[in-house]
Amino acid sequence: MFRLMRNVHLILGIAFFFYAMLFALSSLTIIYRQWLKPLRESQERTVQVNPESSRTPRALAFELMQNHGLKGELRDTKQEAKEIRFSIVRPGTESTVIYSGSGGEVKIQTHRAGFLETLVSLHTNHGFWHDFVPSNAWSLFSLLGSVGLFFLGATGIYLWFCHDNERLVGAVILALGLIYSLTTLVLSRLA
Amino acid sequence: MYDWMKKIHMYAGLFSFMAFVIWGVTGILAVFLPPPGEWRPPAITMQREFPFVVAENMDDKEVAREIYAAAGLTMAGGYYNVHRNDAGNLAFIAFSTNGQRDITYLEKERRVRIDFRDGGLGDFLSNMHTGHSRRGPPDLSSRLWGYYNEFSTWAFLFMVLSGIYLWLATRPGMRWALILMSATATATLVLWSATR
Repeated sequence: MFRLMRNVHLILGIAFFFYAMLFALSSLTIIYRQWLKPLRESQERTVQVNPESSRTPRALAFELMQNHGLKGELRDTKQEAKEIRFSIVRPGTESTVIYSGSGGEVKIQTHRAGFLETLVSLHTNHGFWHDFVPSNAWSLFSLLGSVGLFFLGATGIYLWFCHDNERLVGAVILALGLIYSLTTLVLSRLA
Repeated sequence: MYDWMKKIHMYAGLFSFMAFVIWGVTGILAVFLPPPGEWRPPAITMQREFPFVVAENMDDKEVAREIYAAAGLTMAGGYYNVHRNDAGNLAFIAFSTNGQRDITYLEKERRVRIDFRDGGLGDFLSNMHTGHSRRGPPDLSSRLWGYYNEFSTWAFLFMVLSGIYLWLATRPGMRWALILMSATATATLVLWSATR
């Protein structure tokens, strides 16, 4: 049994290694953001589209995704008279699109977050409703990783308990952690 | 080195156990959160009113600040969206770990009304999982939880890295583990490339 649990613990640890690193590093980025210099790359470009196939925000977004390398999901669509504005967003990258509605010239401003801020975007990415398929895949990783965290914890507790010489010290540490955390949680809930 | 690493790995996990449970619950619940724009605040669970007289020379933002201070809301981390509602009264929102509070200054009656919209346990845990030493309501219990949560984040990072060390120190040639690591790395790289 011990051998099985140790292998399950190892399998989960390896399977979710990168996911766990993503969450650990992004959490630390959020906590210490004020001391970190956020890296952000901005780029502006103009592209030419076919005015006939770009009369609505969705049609224009489709055109840009098909022929001009934009990827992500469509958000914040606005259409006033002929002018079209929207964003195409994916974790860590946001492109703002402005089309005056004539001449076929589209202005695209792209803001690309650095590595750590992209991790934060992936950390807060959730749900399976995204039009951008990789965002749904990251959400699936989040779900599996969260479930995996329970099994990692459960097998970890079992493995600790099998170490006879660690039981007492471990029990004291576990009890301290539980008392401290549960007390603060309950008091916060009742406040 | 190995023995100490194993000990600290174990102790860090035991002490941070509850944080990992909260993160796990939050991660599972987050998958089922509504998309942006479809979130609706919980129903009003309680109402409270108290008399409040404002100085006539104050603007809305100053009045909101005074009311927020006088309301003495617990577990609240600031107020937002100061505006005039359809009836012309000053209204704003305070977010508490336990749910949203809608605050309205009833100008004619010279009273403040607070609508409490308490969230469920899932919302509460989700709010608590974001706490750290400098983030969250100023209440003592929340601050103390923040220290625990922040410590657990460091403990988690340590455990992830020390876990890899413990594996490689004891069973470096384990074939299926190496294959699994390669597969995980490949899947992550592919997904990262597709996203970036």
